[in-house]
Amino acid sequence: MKKLTTMVVHLFLIVASVISLFPFVWMLMGMTNSSSEILKGKFSFGSMLMENIHKLLDMTSLGAAFWNSAIIAIIGTVGTLLLSSMAGYGFEIYHSKSKSRLFGLLMLSMMMPFAAVMIPLFRMFSGMGLLNTPTAVILPTITTAFMIFFFLQNTKSFPRELLQAGRVDGLSEWRLFTRIYMPTMKPTYAAAAIITFMNYWNSFLWPLIALQTQDKKTLPLVVSSLASSYNPDYGIIMVAIVITTLPSVLIFFLLQKQFVQGMLGSVK
Amino acid sequence: MERKWNKSSLMGWQFVALPSALILLFSFYPMFQSLLLSFQSGKGTVYHYVGIDNYIRLFSDPMFKQAVFNTLLYLIVQVPIMLLLGLVIAHLLNNPKLRFKGFYRTAIFLPCVTSLVSYAVLFKSIFAVDGILNKMLLSMHVIQEPIAWLMDPIWARVVIIAAITWRWTGYNMIFYLSAMQNIDPSIYEAASIDGASKTRQFFSITVPMLKPIILFTAIISTNGTLQLFDEVVNITKGGPGNATMTISQYIYNLSFVYTPNFGYAATVSYAIVVMVAVLALFQLKLGGEKR
Amino acid sequence: MKKFLSVLLLVTMTASLLAACGSSNSDSNTAGSTDQGGSSKKKVVAWAWDPSFNGAALKIAEELYQKEHPDFELEVVDMAKADLEQKLNANLAAGVKDGLPDIILVNDPNIQKYVTAYPNTFADFTDKIDFTQFSPYKVDALRIGDKIYGVPFDIGVTGMFYRSDYLEQAGYTAKDLENITWDQYIEIGKVVKEKTGKYMTTINPNDEALTSILLQSAGSWYITPENKGNFVNNPVMAETLRVYKAISDSGIAKPVTGWSEFVGSFNAGDVATVVSGVWQVPSIMDAKDQSGKWRVAPIPRLNIKGGVNASNEGGSSWFVLNGSKNKDLAIDFLAKTIGGSSEFYERFLKEKGGVGSYIPAFSSDAYGQQSEFFGGQAIYRDFTKWSTEVPGISLGMYTQEAKDALKNELPNILQGADLTQSLANIQKLFEQQVQ
Repeated sequence: MKKLTTMVVHLFLIVASVISLFPFVWMLMGMTNSSSEILKGKFSFGSMLMENIHKLLDMTSLGAAFWNSAIIAIIGTVGTLLLSSMAGYGFEIYHSKSKSRLFGLLMLSMMMPFAAVMIPLFRMFSGMGLLNTPTAVILPTITTAFMIFFFLQNTKSFPRELLQAGRVDGLSEWRLFTRIYMPTMKPTYAAAAIITFMNYWNSFLWPLIALQTQDKKTLPLVVSSLASSYNPDYGIIMVAIVITTLPSVLIFFLLQKQFVQGMLGSVK
Repeated sequence: MERKWNKSSLMGWQFVALPSALILLFSFYPMFQSLLLSFQSGKGTVYHYVGIDNYIRLFSDPMFKQAVFNTLLYLIVQVPIMLLLGLVIAHLLNNPKLRFKGFYRTAIFLPCVTSLVSYAVLFKSIFAVDGILNKMLLSMHVIQEPIAWLMDPIWARVVIIAAITWRWTGYNMIFYLSAMQNIDPSIYEAASIDGASKTRQFFSITVPMLKPIILFTAIISTNGTLQLFDEVVNITKGGPGNATMTISQYIYNLSFVYTPNFGYAATVSYAIVVMVAVLALFQLKLGGEKR
Repeated sequence: MKKFLSVLLLVTMTASLLAACGSSNSDSNTAGSTDQGGSSKKKVVAWAWDPSFNGAALKIAEELYQKEHPDFELEVVDMAKADLEQKLNANLAAGVKDGLPDIILVNDPNIQKYVTAYPNTFADFTDKIDFTQFSPYKVDALRIGDKIYGVPFDIGVTGMFYRSDYLEQAGYTAKDLENITWDQYIEIGKVVKEKTGKYMTTINPNDEALTSILLQSAGSWYITPENKGNFVNNPVMAETLRVYKAISDSGIAKPVTGWSEFVGSFNAGDVATVVSGVWQVPSIMDAKDQSGKWRVAPIPRLNIKGGVNASNEGGSSWFVLNGSKNKDLAIDFLAKTIGGSSEFYERFLKEKGGVGSYIPAFSSDAYGQQSEFFGGQAIYRDFTKWSTEVPGISLGMYTQEAKDALKNELPNILQGADLTQSLANIQKLFEQQVQ
């Protein structure tokens, strides 16, 4: 009986994995095929890989775009994690009525479609003289209600006894946060880092408006301009997509160890 | 005790002040500007004050009504499916004895890092008239002739729902998995000793312990669905007819595709804010948050 | 508390570091592309959306212009077409000038929309170029009131690309495809389907390309020159939708749901004809194994007064921004190259396969070249001949709104709803949209 359940579980997960992975296989195959082969729906590996890579490197300054994206995503993620976890911790641990009202207000900010605030925001950054800089891309989302909310909800299951114990040991409030809360919440930070990195790495609408010159463009902007020509070359696009996707996958690989059962136990 | 609590309440501000100030600056200031704009109408840079006319226009705008209908349909059908699926998968993967869990975890997470371009090209080719899905169904004799998935209003919506579920289930799974690490494994051990089945454990331990996170994912998914844009634009462009168009796509059209009317676009945006806020409050109540 | 201070310090430091690297960046940017003071090189910035097509055209123009003006320099910023439109709208609506280029590419149906929504933003070209040298229908698209904005660039004069092998197999010669009506086209399509098993064409109810081609071939459009809906009491519209439904009903059209499927259908040899703009040539030639099998004929016509065997699909024009610091230079650059150089158009065609509407270039050798892929047919000579027959129309301000209103009702029309009633519905929806 137990064996049967395990088999059913595996079967279910295998089906889910195949469905999830299918596009990646197709993408990797696409990298090695010509555009017309991709359009004809060829589902096998071809021999165009090097040619596609060469063409892509000739057509775009991919290295610069990669660097721009990396700077934005890394600084942005570190900043967001620090600021949002501080706020999530503050709102939950030092809960008060006024803070709770403030939090409710902050939540409204994530409900506004970005397209509607983009133009005033653009005007604001123009006024600050920050357009066409990584700072302009990073700042507007360096703290989001979404991430604060995520930390706040996770803090609800944070064992407060640990804080009491720390206070008894004479730790300051900041030390409680950095020495006790941060290590205990590693899985939460890991999840937040993956999601935030992805958001920065893939962000499109705002960088499109805020970045102005060719040399400041991020990867998604470069890929988008490839895909819109009259005769898009899908082989090249596939290479660009794979390159764009890899860093997020890498981050996930690095951080997923944190989702292994029992992290909390080791801290206790 | 009371005094100490007050003191700690004050202490808390040093944690929340800076992040809150940044949100107020970068979100609320622009939001206020667009609130002012929502009382104006015109084209491009030529605007005049129209009072609440834009808000009245919403109620007689067939395109807006269509977009609200489509969006709410996605919300009602898709969000529960996705969250349940994500939760079940996270629960299965949280079993320390399960083999290959690292592989499954990565595989199921991957869709949400896919670029939209590839995702769109791919879904279009799978659901093309002579695409893979039709070929499979035909060879299994499930259907007699190919289905034009993206040209039928109902099937097109099904495709969109499938696409969102495919892309975002792994994303929600991450939130659940990380939160599950905060559950003390000894609770499960104790339950196993008491003879509680895995299914029983799922409903009586996992779900209640994860309630804050389930609530979180429910609210952000509601928010995400009401602002749904990329998937629809890339896969169906809102068609056939306008059967899959979403509210966010309508805002985008009003601003950048049609003769730009940023005033009316701001009004439609506030309609989204109101809808999400009401639904979020409802979910908080339902989730038993009593504050 | 110490910790708090150190964190605060860290955050401030990061922020100021960012701001510092930000401002130094924007300084270098100002020096590079916007501030043209002094006697250094004169640099003009342009936005375009296809580096291998319109971006490349600018590069050709730059080379030509540099012969007379060696200190001239051009920077082309490439982005996707939708991205460009979004960015332009955001910049203009925000009133932020420093990020805008000097020259911008505009899709023809957007011309009137931009000029009206952002008054005094685009430079007037009325006296800068001899517009009589261009195909009249192209100039009509640029005329708003008594002014002409921008420089005519590429055109999308349409043709019926066809597989001569499939049609021969079905018993048709090149002669049989000339000067036909759409009803005759459908009859031919049925025979082709029967004899070869191939579809005659593709159909995509989510795409307005075919309806646009049909409308313009009889001198009509979705909206009137006065920007009113042109759905009710418009015989051309009624005939267009009748033909569209007839094609859909006849079974000769393979349903496709997107651009890649559309291109895939003829690359894979699934269809016998492709009715499309001249810019489709490179996509058709992508299928190298089909060389020698393709030909181009004039498109079928609507059997109605004013219907001709020529139309247009797409096309774009170059605009100069009034706020540009290099406005006069940008105007002069465009006027001397894309606005009046036969050499430019010859090179544009030879190197990039682009067709313009500059009439003096049509008699050049470049336009007379025979294409082996098209069985030795001088396709560009034919396309340019048809381009002089395309009826001129005003594209108006609300083309996209009108297309969306039509799209909303099209499924009903295809399912056999009463056409008069459907047209009235579309008209009503459109009027609600543009209030």
